[in-house]
Amino acid sequence: MDELTREFLIESQEGLDRMERCLTELEERPQDAGLLGDIFRSVHTIKGTTGFLGFKRLEKLAHSGENLLGLLRDGKLVANAPIITALLQLLDGLRAILKTIEADGNEGEGHDTALVDQIKACMQGGAAAPAAAEVPAVAAAATVATEAAPPPLVAVPAAAPVAAKPVVPAAPAPPATPAAGAKPAAPAGNTPPRAAVVSAAESSLRVDVTLLNRMMNLVGELVLTRNQVLQATANDPNMTMLSRRLDMVTADLRENVMKARMQPVSNIFSKMPRIVRDLCQTLGRHVRIQVEGQDTELDKSLLEAIKDPLTHAVRNSLDHGIEPPDVREAAGKDPEGTLKLRASHEGSHVVIEISDDGAGIDTERVRKKAIDKGLITADRAAQLSERELHMLIFLPGFSTAAAITNVSGRGVGMDVVKTNVEQIGGKVEVDSRQGKGMTLRLRIPLTLAIIPALIVRTLEQSFALPQGALSELVHIPPEQAATAIEWIEGAPLYRLRGQLLPLVYLDRLLTPEGHHKAATERDNFIAVLDADGRRFGLVVDGLADPEEIVVKPLSSALKGIGLYSGATVLGNADLALILDPGAIALKAGVNMTNREEENSRAAEQQDAIGLNTGMEYLLVEAAGRRAAVPLADVLRIEQLPLKRVEYIGYRAVINFEGQLLPVEDSGGILAAGGDGESQVIVVVCREGERHVGIAVSQVLDVANGSDLFEAGTEQRTDGVTLLKDHVTGVVDLGSVPPLPADAQPSSGEWNNVAETMA
Amino acid sequence: MSTATVLHEKEKATNTLLEICSVRLEENWFGIPISHILEIVGGARPQPVPLAPAFVGGLIHYRGDVLTTVSLRQLLGQPPKEGNQDVLVLESSGGYFGLLVDAVGEVLTLSSADFEQNPSTLESKRRALFAGAYKLKDRLLVMLDPERLDPMRLTSAQTS
Repeated sequence: MDELTREFLIESQEGLDRMERCLTELEERPQDAGLLGDIFRSVHTIKGTTGFLGFKRLEKLAHSGENLLGLLRDGKLVANAPIITALLQLLDGLRAILKTIEADGNEGEGHDTALVDQIKACMQGGAAAPAAAEVPAVAAAATVATEAAPPPLVAVPAAAPVAAKPVVPAAPAPPATPAAGAKPAAPAGNTPPRAAVVSAAESSLRVDVTLLNRMMNLVGELVLTRNQVLQATANDPNMTMLSRRLDMVTADLRENVMKARMQPVSNIFSKMPRIVRDLCQTLGRHVRIQVEGQDTELDKSLLEAIKDPLTHAVRNSLDHGIEPPDVREAAGKDPEGTLKLRASHEGSHVVIEISDDGAGIDTERVRKKAIDKGLITADRAAQLSERELHMLIFLPGFSTAAAITNVSGRGVGMDVVKTNVEQIGGKVEVDSRQGKGMTLRLRIPLTLAIIPALIVRTLEQSFALPQGALSELVHIPPEQAATAIEWIEGAPLYRLRGQLLPLVYLDRLLTPEGHHKAATERDNFIAVLDADGRRFGLVVDGLADPEEIVVKPLSSALKGIGLYSGATVLGNADLALILDPGAIALKAGVNMTNREEENSRAAEQQDAIGLNTGMEYLLVEAAGRRAAVPLADVLRIEQLPLKRVEYIGYRAVINFEGQLLPVEDSGGILAAGGDGESQVIVVVCREGERHVGIAVSQVLDVANGSDLFEAGTEQRTDGVTLLKDHVTGVVDLGSVPPLPADAQPSSGEWNNVAETMA
Repeated sequence: MSTATVLHEKEKATNTLLEICSVRLEENWFGIPISHILEIVGGARPQPVPLAPAFVGGLIHYRGDVLTTVSLRQLLGQPPKEGNQDVLVLESSGGYFGLLVDAVGEVLTLSSADFEQNPSTLESKRRALFAGAYKLKDRLLVMLDPERLDPMRLTSAQTS
């Protein structure tokens, strides 16, 4: 295939994608001149180029579409359902031919007369003719379409009844001759938008994806090299400036290469209205689709990877979620269902939500089906929590559909969603309220290649633990291990803020036969992990620095072990295996906890009594009094010897390698003093640009605060909050006086520390 | 039919010379056709992989990639060696992998006339690994076939 044809194919695909998007919008705003202009231009461009390249069949089809669109654009016809259906079929026809060209280099054999006739019939405002012409038209399109068969087929049964209705708005339109339709391709209408296209083309260029992939790999290498250089030059003052510069440039370069690979989710979201439209017609549903956060960007390869899961999820929502209009009406709901697609950033993830206001998951039916299909035993099913029952829908072979339709019911859908999303390191969450609807949340990492990880040591080798799953770290020295770690018949547990946390010893897991030191003879570092709702503590021998690691795939011989998601090269040039928290939880037999469910239930109760559950606070105790620190401002909690606290005049400060941290001591803990062995707990917080410490005697908990209102005035009170049913004062970080100007530390370094600790 | 035997039959007809890299394991010498060797990495310290199949010698960093190595010692049921080892980077149909040996020796140019198939008395497990032997003046050089050492193939052979 020559370069020109290839260019043409890419351009035409883009044009048709745009056309599809516009067509579904056109249904809602049939008079929108901008939309019509856009569609017209797409078809016109295809027609123009095909004539030039000698694709006669394509040209003929595009030409007939252009005629119809010309009438629409000039306001001689108003777009109605049959016209849009015809245009969508035209779109499928064009796509099918393009596909054949891509595969074979020629247009292939096929007859489009039926489709052309149908379009012509639309132009005459006739309603009866298209209904009859439809079936052969589709059949013709289907013979051409090698893979793209389903969409045109789906349209068959549904479009016919619609078309049979008398066409209301289009009828009075004067019969237009094809010539009148073809001529309006006048330059006048096209000039301004074309100028915009040209300028966009000048400032952008097409880049091969493989080249971008290669660049991404090279940047990954550079990140590794940077890590090594940084470690090697850490103690050389002459190299500090240079290595910092290298650090910055690398970070910048990485960010930009990643950006180059980013595409807005609208690329896949825009396909959904058409799918919804077709499915609605097949399934007899009325569904309104709402899309939010279309500009959210995601790595191209990830975007490709979630296209299928998203389509499956939308199908599932329409087939199983949203009920038919009469059922909805009987249940007191709006007969028109709502399907919401939402994309947003959340930390280092992009969250894509597919929510509907349908029936939700019928847990009893799920339980019964799962037992019937032999996916779980009846005993096990009886023990499952609601949340665990919801997760059953992701089991391979699971389906609650009574009959297999061509939409769903084959029991592969949700399984595909989960496996595809997990393959790219994402997570699937489901949130369902019976009778009210369900939300499927796809949590997708921003990028595949580079992830933040904590390096841990066990068996005298390094392992990388992805930070995404890590919620906190607890250190238990050998002398405390006897009391802090409790055992139930060989299963170690740790009491984390009153809740029992199952512990998994990494060394025992990795070398089941080896000899292991008892908990009381070693340091126990507990990494509290949350993997797919399974919460557990992974016990390792030691912690090293957090690092941004470049994920390298493992050979398939090692993938079989299942505990590692890859390997990486560390800053000190050592290799480390990347642990997969989910797989460890499974292997160690950690069950899903109901913790989140309890939380959400608690939140629901609070919602019910009308409390505003906004901010989270860290509840601390200082000299017998309880106080709250906004959790968002807390960077970390330090426990250090009292003698580390020094004084500038009366101001208590702590010196962290040249960085001074002012310490607020309103509780008088520092002032109370102690012997040389005393420890003090300092909560390090962010206050604007600077960092301040608060001396406390104990950190109690993290809790949701509720606003309080002054009696009579109903005004929200500042500085206090309701925490765990107690009125608690909020520490005012702003009131910590600044250090003397010449002692002011620069905050840059702190930020780095804070980010890596997060 | 494996690559080495194919090569061998071709050689028999023409009696060509073949360049073979010799590697040492304790007192035994093995040979690998240099056409299959991408690179020799000396003094590597492979990172062990807990729970990996017994023949896996660990991971090494090779040109930006993480390479799985097959330990010839572990494959032949000998205890692993402490300290530095040499790694031959080999290419097989499944991709690259490393072969851990005690030391790499010299490259020998051998005539295909000196080649002999595996003796029928050889244990079947060994026969699956070795591709035959060259008769040198003072000893035998047992030929290894990179295709048969591919970790993927060894894994499936182990499980079946």
